[in-house]
Amino acid sequence: MVFSYNWLKDYIKGRLPKPAKLVELLTMNSFEISELKKVDSDFILDIDVLPNRAPDCFSHLGIAREIGAICGLVFKGLTSEIKEDKSLKAKDFVKVEVKNKTACPRYTARVITDVKIESSPKWMRERLKVCGLRSINNVVDIANYVMLETGQPLHAFDGEKLQDSKIIVRFAKAGEKIITLDEEKYDLDKDILVIADAKKPIAIAGIKGGKMPEVDKKTKIIVLEAANFNSKIIRRTSKKIDLKTDASWRFEHGIDPNLTEAAINRAAFLIQKLAHPQAGYPKITQGLIDKYPQKVLAKRIKLELDYVEKLLGVKIPESKIVKILKSLEFKVLSSKFGILTVEVPTFRLDINIPEDLIEEIGRIYGYQKIPAIFPITTLIPPKRNLEIFWEDTTKNILKEVGFSEIYNYSFISEEDAKDFGFKSKDLIELENPISLEQRYLRPSLIPNLLKNIQKNQKHFSEMRIFELGRVFKLPKTEKNILTGLITGQAFFQLKGVVDLLLNKLGISEIWYDQYQPTPEMSKISIWHPQKCAEIKVDHQEIGFLGEIKSGILEDLKIEGKIVVFDIDFEKLSKLASEEHEFRPIPRFPAAVRDIAVLVPREIMMEEVLNKIEGAGGSVIRDIDLFDIYEGEELPAGKKNLAFHIIYQAEDRTLSSGEIDEIQNKIIKTLEKDPEWQVRK
Amino acid sequence: MTKFSLKTLKNQAQKDLNSAKNLKALNEIFKEYLGKKGKLTRILRSLEKMPKAKRIKIGKEANQLKNFLEEKMEQKKSSFVKTTEDKKEWIDITAPGKKPLFGHLHSLNLVKRKVEEIFQAMGFSIIEGPEMETEWYNFDALNIPKDHPARDLWDTFYLKTGFLLRTHTSPGQIRFMEKNNPPLRIIVPGRVFRHEATDASHEINFYQIEGLMVDKKISVANFKAIIQEFLQRFFERPVKIRVRPSYFPFTEPSFEVDVTCLNCGGKGCSACQQTGWMEMMGAGMVHPNVFKNSGLVPKNWQGWAFGMGMDRLAMMKYKINDIRLFYSGDLRFLNQF
Repeated sequence: MVFSYNWLKDYIKGRLPKPAKLVELLTMNSFEISELKKVDSDFILDIDVLPNRAPDCFSHLGIAREIGAICGLVFKGLTSEIKEDKSLKAKDFVKVEVKNKTACPRYTARVITDVKIESSPKWMRERLKVCGLRSINNVVDIANYVMLETGQPLHAFDGEKLQDSKIIVRFAKAGEKIITLDEEKYDLDKDILVIADAKKPIAIAGIKGGKMPEVDKKTKIIVLEAANFNSKIIRRTSKKIDLKTDASWRFEHGIDPNLTEAAINRAAFLIQKLAHPQAGYPKITQGLIDKYPQKVLAKRIKLELDYVEKLLGVKIPESKIVKILKSLEFKVLSSKFGILTVEVPTFRLDINIPEDLIEEIGRIYGYQKIPAIFPITTLIPPKRNLEIFWEDTTKNILKEVGFSEIYNYSFISEEDAKDFGFKSKDLIELENPISLEQRYLRPSLIPNLLKNIQKNQKHFSEMRIFELGRVFKLPKTEKNILTGLITGQAFFQLKGVVDLLLNKLGISEIWYDQYQPTPEMSKISIWHPQKCAEIKVDHQEIGFLGEIKSGILEDLKIEGKIVVFDIDFEKLSKLASEEHEFRPIPRFPAAVRDIAVLVPREIMMEEVLNKIEGAGGSVIRDIDLFDIYEGEELPAGKKNLAFHIIYQAEDRTLSSGEIDEIQNKIIKTLEKDPEWQVRK
Repeated sequence: MTKFSLKTLKNQAQKDLNSAKNLKALNEIFKEYLGKKGKLTRILRSLEKMPKAKRIKIGKEANQLKNFLEEKMEQKKSSFVKTTEDKKEWIDITAPGKKPLFGHLHSLNLVKRKVEEIFQAMGFSIIEGPEMETEWYNFDALNIPKDHPARDLWDTFYLKTGFLLRTHTSPGQIRFMEKNNPPLRIIVPGRVFRHEATDASHEINFYQIEGLMVDKKISVANFKAIIQEFLQRFFERPVKIRVRPSYFPFTEPSFEVDVTCLNCGGKGCSACQQTGWMEMMGAGMVHPNVFKNSGLVPKNWQGWAFGMGMDRLAMMKYKINDIRLFYSGDLRFLNQF
């Protein structure tokens, strides 16, 4: 909110600090200043009043009070002595009725006659302009001026335009309409609080006045309103009709009901003083019309001085504490046994508990003056977070084998959901997306990672990327998934990465199972049907490894192939283990024999390996595939697999006779199947 | 010839060999000692004229010397030959090194690790929480009532399931205190969401780190010490902090923490809008209602909490000017870390 430096001077006895100094003082003790600007002979301070301080500081008086407390200057407050005309009674001009006292805890009105509407004095116009308000006429300007001064919104009606001289505060009836001062039409309903005359709404309460009883050049009698409205109702209405005004903004943050009287008297005083002073002063009719059934009284808070010290971590003398509280218009009613009884001024809606008072003491004393002291506390060793440990370990391994880590948005678009075949019954939809890009929470990391490939492919020919992040599924699943992508025909490269990763995480018993989607699933699957595997550890499936099917790559305009692994990270981190046992370096030499076997094309490597291992037994240290060949020279439908078999025993040097024997046993086992043929 | 002169000869020959600079010089040395008229050759020739006993003794030593010199010369020769060969070989050492295959961790992850490391060293445990939250944990329990203007401070994504996307990591405070009694020290890093237009300094998802320390008498003074220590360790240089008033419904008192501008060191520059300070985090003393809502008795405990933007830390540390780069997936950016 914008404040005038010159205006603030009105309420302070003595000299206000220079504007730049004032900015620093307010920043360190009250509010941040987003801008200081010189305008003619004045300075504009754009102060970010904190939302809890709106009730007292959306006003020049409030800011001046802060300055007084910070600088130790005397805050003068308001002076408005009004002279009522005893021959005229306010109640003869207007009757006020409040239908709902929760919605409108207080309604104050004054009637002023013999007013001449003209423009307001130059100094007032200038101050309003500095604060961003347009000058209308003397009465409206005064109402606005007093709002900027006190924080209490006011409204002026033409007293002669009110049907039956009535003001009724009530909720609107269905079908009622209003045209506001700015000629906008609003449809009202039973949740909207209005000010009405005998016939129809004349203002949207606390938000905007109606056109009908507008103050114009012919206006002679003014009915001034200073009311207090329920902040929730104003906030709801303002949202509903999408109209924010200086008044609604103040009401929705809450205002002290006790403020109406001072504000309305101030406005009446100014009208009397300024509106038409040459030809006889306007007359303030006798009596303040005041519907205030439940007076708000000052709260009392007990404040333990020990607690002040304990919470702030610094000892501030009692005299200093009392001085600070008083400078902010708190009353210290008593001080006994180290406990202060403090009365909170009603304009401080934000102060309810001792901690609130401690904040006031702390900030005016100056947080800068509080020393930095390390806490004295019990030594409790921090708990190790295993989930994070395994995350870091996993990321390190992937980094070491050339993968770059990506952080993508947690959303997918409607289009992606469709293209990737995600079903809306699985997806969590946003209630209020900003754009269609965030229609759903991501059910998988794959779509956005594929898009990363697409975007990067003009700069990079080969890519290895991964992400570890949360995915979401109905009804309320949220889990960590690890997904890695590699470009090219690189199934076995990525399989090697998965093997390495799992091994490094201490997971053995890894195997790959044929991916067998149901016919229904295969239609919507993103995987290439022939090049996809389930990654399994023991009997548990922990994820998938496979090529993305061409249709999807084509839709995304990705050149070449993409191989992906997609692993449930929660399962992975549960399986992971730091246990690792050293295996002695072999003391006896190893011998290598080769074997090549011709098998039908569809035979899986695993089957061959199992047979060799089964027949060879414990002296087989390792089996190394070094060639797969399918070609014209071979019989149709066959492939040739060639292995190095490494023989090694832990307790002796194997003799060549012994090895030959085992090798023959392996050959025999392989050739049991007549379709298999070991090539000698 | 005496033994002594053989020894002198050896010393002399060794000296000559050491000072030989090339093959030609080596040849000269060979001639001098082992050539037809060489010094050692002459001694060997003179052997036959010697008495038997002396002949055996000198002969043995002279032959040893001969073998020794031949060996030395051969070594020297081959080293000259190799040096010449090496001289023919040449590489351009300014040509680029071969890049090993190596990946990259995300800059936000690097920052997260560093933050975690520093706080763990000060006894804080790392806790995580869900990204989908309930209104209770995200707002009500944190003393942010419904229909209150304070809720406008957090623009929220709501889900059709009735949940919302957490707008801050603060729900972590409640979730942890529900299950753990003080004294406690935790940090809660994680992804948070805001329903707002994106620009160079705003994103719809970003990372925060929450801190919480609760015990019998944890004060503002303690907060200042821990945070200053953290920032100095994080930025690896002495920094000053300043604490000024702020407002959060879940802390009382509440404050904003600024750190001396890393760009200008506090003198004032364009990066800090000439103030010399940069906003670092929101913080405060835990509000009694937050203790109450977590099932703790407020009068028994006090402590502080803070919430800090990890993206902002990363931007300051690496001088990154646009938050959107973190989520762009652009490898030209990501591969710089």
